[in-house]
Amino acid sequence: IATFLGRKLQPRPQNEVEETLKRIQGQKGVQGIIIVNAEGIPIKTTLDNSSTVQYAGLIHQLVMKARSTVRDIDPQNDLTFLRVRSKKNEIMIAPDKDYFLIVIQNPSD
Amino acid sequence: MFTDETLDALGVESLWRKSQQFAQESRGCQTRPVHTAEAEIQPLLNADNGTQTDPQDHLIYQLPPKGELRPESPGLRDFLHRVEDMVVKELASNAKSHAFDGFDVNWEDQNETVSCIHCLQHPSAQEKGLQVTSISWSCTGSVIACAFGRVDDGDWSTEKSCVCTWNLDRRGLNPKRPDMVIDVARPVMSLSFHPSQPSLIAGGLYSGEVVVWDTNRTQDLILAQTGMSTDTHREPVYQRSEQVCFQVAWVPGPRRGEMVVLSAGSGGRVLLWTVDSDEGRLVLSAGFALIRQQVPHNSALSKNRGSSNVGVTSLALSPWDLDTFLVGSESGLVLKCSFSAQTLAAAPPDGESVTLRAPAQFSFSPRGGPVHSLHCSPFHRNLFVSVGTDGLAHLHSLLQPDPLLSLRVSDSYVFGVRWSPTRPLLFAAATGQGLVQIFDLGRKSLRPAATLDQLTGGQPVYCLEFNPRRKDLLAVGNADGSVNIWHLSTELTEQGPRETAKLEQLANEVAE
Repeated sequence: IATFLGRKLQPRPQNEVEETLKRIQGQKGVQGIIIVNAEGIPIKTTLDNSSTVQYAGLIHQLVMKARSTVRDIDPQNDLTFLRVRSKKNEIMIAPDKDYFLIVIQNPSD
Repeated sequence: MFTDETLDALGVESLWRKSQQFAQESRGCQTRPVHTAEAEIQPLLNADNGTQTDPQDHLIYQLPPKGELRPESPGLRDFLHRVEDMVVKELASNAKSHAFDGFDVNWEDQNETVSCIHCLQHPSAQEKGLQVTSISWSCTGSVIACAFGRVDDGDWSTEKSCVCTWNLDRRGLNPKRPDMVIDVARPVMSLSFHPSQPSLIAGGLYSGEVVVWDTNRTQDLILAQTGMSTDTHREPVYQRSEQVCFQVAWVPGPRRGEMVVLSAGSGGRVLLWTVDSDEGRLVLSAGFALIRQQVPHNSALSKNRGSSNVGVTSLALSPWDLDTFLVGSESGLVLKCSFSAQTLAAAPPDGESVTLRAPAQFSFSPRGGPVHSLHCSPFHRNLFVSVGTDGLAHLHSLLQPDPLLSLRVSDSYVFGVRWSPTRPLLFAAATGQGLVQIFDLGRKSLRPAATLDQLTGGQPVYCLEFNPRRKDLLAVGNADGSVNIWHLSTELTEQGPRETAKLEQLANEVAE
C-alpha cells in the first residue's frame, strides 16, 4: 500500500489506461493508437488531430459495415476483430459494445 | 392745435409665455482633507527559485484537477483489460509473420512500357523556327499550354510568337492543330496556369512584361498585363527594359484565397503582381531585388565583375513553407530567399511604386554557369534538385550549402528538372541532347532508370512537366517546336513501400 505522510494514496485509474496504451504502443512497428467511443468520437489518441478525426470517422463506418455483414450471414455470429492490410501498413480494430481500439502497425518497420 | 406729445410706452404682459429660466439652486461639497503617508520597504534576504513542467508524454492526457479524480469514460479500463491481450498477441504475431511476403495486388492495369502518346505541334510556329520555351498543365490536368519563343537568341527579339493549348481529354484531338492559339507580340519565356482556376494563364514575355490571359473570353483574351499603369506614361516596353522575364508563378496572396503573380527576370527583380481585372492591369504589390553585394556569401565568389544585379534564370517555390523560395541565377548562384524579408534592397529606384527588399537569406555552393531549373521535393521539406549548364543534377538539402548528391545527367546542358509527384525518389531531367533522363534514387546505380528520346534529331529539350492529376503523364517541350506527351510505366509512377523513409535517410546524410 503506498502511503505519503501516513495517509493512504487513492489509486488513480487514469494510470492504468495510460499504462495499457503504453504497452500496446511499445509493440514492434506500432505507428498509432486511437480509442473511439460508440458514436465514433475519438477519446484517446497518439496521432495528430486531423489524422485521428479522419481515421475515427472512416473506420467507424467500416466496422459497422463489417459487423452487419457478419451478422447477416449468420445472426448467431458476431464480429470479434477486423484487420485491414494495405501496401504501407495494417490497421487492427478490436470492437466492443462501447469502444473500438484502433491500432495502426507497419509490420516491416 | 397739434402739439408734440410723448406718451409712456405701454406694456402688455404675455399670458402664455413663461420665463424659460428655471429655478436654480447651487450646492457645493468637498471632502475632508485626505491623509497620505509614505513608507518604503526592502527585503533583507533574497532567494531565487525556478520551476519547469515535465516534458509532455507521448500520450495526450489531462491531469486530473488537484485533489479530485476526473470522471473518466465509464468502462474504458475494463474494455482495455478485455482487448489488450488479444491485440498485443496479434501485433506480435503480425510483426513476425511472413504470410504476406511478396504478395502484391494489382488494382489497376499494369503498364510495363513508356510510350509517347501524343506529339503536339503548331505548324505555323514551327515554320517560323520558334522553340517551346515553357509548358504548363492546367489544374484539372486535361489542358496543356505551351509557350513559343527562343531560348538561344541573344538579340533583342521583337518576333511575334504565340501560346497554344490542347485539351487532351477531348475527343477528336488533333495533335497538329491546337484548340486555342493566343497571339503574343513578343516571345513568351515562361507560362503558368492558375492553381485553381483552369482558365487563367500567366505568361512572362521576353520584354519583361507579365500578362494574364483568360481563356474563357471570346474577344480579347488578355485579362491583365503590366506596363499599362496610369501613373506612368512611358511605353510599356520601356518600363522593364533590359529585363527578360524568365519565370512566372502563382503564389498565395495576402488575402485568403487570392493568388498573385510572381515574376522574376534577368534584371534581378522578383516582383509580385495583383490582378486587377476591372482595369485590366497587373498592379505591383511587392518587390524584391537581388543585389550581388547583399547576397550572403559563404566563400569568395564575386570574382566576376559586371552588373551588380543577380539575374534570375530559375525560381522554385517550396510547397512546405509558403515563405521560402529558391532562386537560381545566371552566374550560377543558388539562393534561398524569403517573402517576408525586411531588409531594404540597395538598388537605385527604377520608378517602381513599392520599395524593393533584399530577400536572400542563404547561399548554396555556386555552379559554373547559369542554373536553368530548380524544383523542391514534394515529399521532403528540405530537399531540392538543381540543374544547369554543367550537365549535373545536384540534390541539395536546404540546411547545408554543399549538395548531398551530384548525378551526371548529360554531357551537355541540362535545361529542366522536375520531381515526380508520386514517387519520392524519382526525378526527371531534360537535356540539351534531346533526351529526358529519369533517375531513381532508390536504385544502387547512378545511371538513369529510363531515358526518353524525344526524336528531335539532337535538338535540346527545354522544359518538362508532370501532369498534376494523371500521375502517369509527362509533357516535354522541345526546341523543334513540338510537345511530346509520354505515358510512363507503372514502375515509374507507383510508390514503393519504403520510399519516403529512404528519402528521409538521404536527406539526413551529411555531405563529405
